Amino acid sequence: MIPDRIIEQGTLTADGPRTAVEVRLPWYRALPGSCIAGAKLTVDGAEAPAESLRWRMNGREFRFDELVTEADEWWFPTDSAVLSGEIPLSDEAEHEVRVDLILYIPYIIIGDDETLHIEEHDTKTMTVRQGTEVAA
Amino acid sequence: MTTLRQAQGPGTPIQGVTLYSFTRAFHGREYDLEGLIRKVAAEGYGPGLEIIGFSSFRGFPSIEDSYAGWFRDLVVELGLVTTSLAVNADIGIHRDRLLTQDELIDYMTLQIKAAAKLGFPIARVQISITPDSMQALAPIAEEHGVTLALEVHADQYASHPRILALRDRFEQVGSPFLGFTMDWGATVTGFAPSLIEAYRRRGASEDLLAQVTGLWNEFYEQGPPADQAEHGQRFGRFIGLAAQNGRPDLGIDFGINGTGLFGPARVDDWLEIMPWIRHVHGKFFGIDENGEEPSVPVRDLIRLLVENGYSGAISSEYEGWHWNHWQSPFEIIAGEQAVQRSAAADAGSRMITDAAEARSLLHAHLAQPVRG
Repeated sequence: MIPDRIIEQGTLTADGPRTAVEVRLPWYRALPGSCIAGAKLTVDGAEAPAESLRWRMNGREFRFDELVTEADEWWFPTDSAVLSGEIPLSDEAEHEVRVDLILYIPYIIIGDDETLHIEEHDTKTMTVRQGTEVAA
Repeated sequence: MTTLRQAQGPGTPIQGVTLYSFTRAFHGREYDLEGLIRKVAAEGYGPGLEIIGFSSFRGFPSIEDSYAGWFRDLVVELGLVTTSLAVNADIGIHRDRLLTQDELIDYMTLQIKAAAKLGFPIARVQISITPDSMQALAPIAEEHGVTLALEVHADQYASHPRILALRDRFEQVGSPFLGFTMDWGATVTGFAPSLIEAYRRRGASEDLLAQVTGLWNEFYEQGPPADQAEHGQRFGRFIGLAAQNGRPDLGIDFGINGTGLFGPARVDDWLEIMPWIRHVHGKFFGIDENGEEPSVPVRDLIRLLVENGYSGAISSEYEGWHWNHWQSPFEIIAGEQAVQRSAAADAGSRMITDAAEARSLLHAHLAQPVRG
């Protein structure tokens, strides 16, 4: 729906072994954590290990298995969340960042007990900043 | 054009807009909610104002008293009239199961209360709510004075079996608080040219684009799909077309838009549910060089509403923002509303643009018995 805005330009940061980028909801309405079903973070073709991924929104940090049951914290359409994972970037050069998202759309039921999910991705090139605290 | 009720004279629909039309501007942080509402008033897109709860209100459906007061004051200050709050039945909010009936009723009750608190007399609900759930919600809607208007949206249409089952239940229940939102996307006459242009900009060949419009026109000749199985088959034909032409990446997009946005029912199909239409989404996709909507029969739809005595609200709902990144949505919406006003005049009536008149008419429209 709005995949061109998933990655916030200029928000790539690195801190030791971890790399983070701010991401925007590619949908028109807020979704709860339980509908954020998966993500991938890839920099220059190297994908962060799935178990290292963390999702920060509304000041709280989640593993993706914790988001499954999270129906109280919502991702609002104008808010940035932060996706981070283990990808060491020690330079301050330009990198190609790719984010893949899987979102469930909770009001669209496409089968007897199946909820529609969408897969969206975005790729942008940007310079990494070192040692920056992630805000969102 | 066929009419169901002539006794009360021609309808005078209320002009308005849904903020959904400006999704990219709000999402892109060009306007915050207050700024966008002020823009709607300043540019004359009202007086009718529709908002999607989960899009625009942080923390929805929880609404603080002070926030509701601020919002209501803003609407009054700007001379707008709140029409419909679009709410969602998030039946699939838990990943391991769907909401039970009781949970769904609780979930919807919170949103109905939010609509009442914010001053919206209508809550737009969606097809995932069954006849049983609508019946269970009727007394809650009545308690809070909020009409539930279930949206008839492509790939459904007025004479679709699921919609007729809802209509029959509404008739059986007899509550003036149950009705429909008519979405013009169910009765489209062509594949939107602005989307064809977007595919062209993505490198689709002229030959492929001609085949896409040709396939849609074939489905239009056949009429809307009889059931979900036929809908699925049509979706598959669009995917196959993309694959055969070396653009499998466009297949899902062709299918979603070709079947889910551009519904091929005829305008007269709305007569099946006309007495229960409490709200309208004036869905459209673009305005051409002649100032007309090239694929939504806006003039015929306005005439149908006027001739059937409809004096509720029409929210202009611009959906071309998904693909049209090269034109301002604000100018396009102004263009579509000009077509609405012209069409109403041609039908011997007018669109209501005065707030006080709109408020009074909307109140009378919602208070009358649904089958009146």
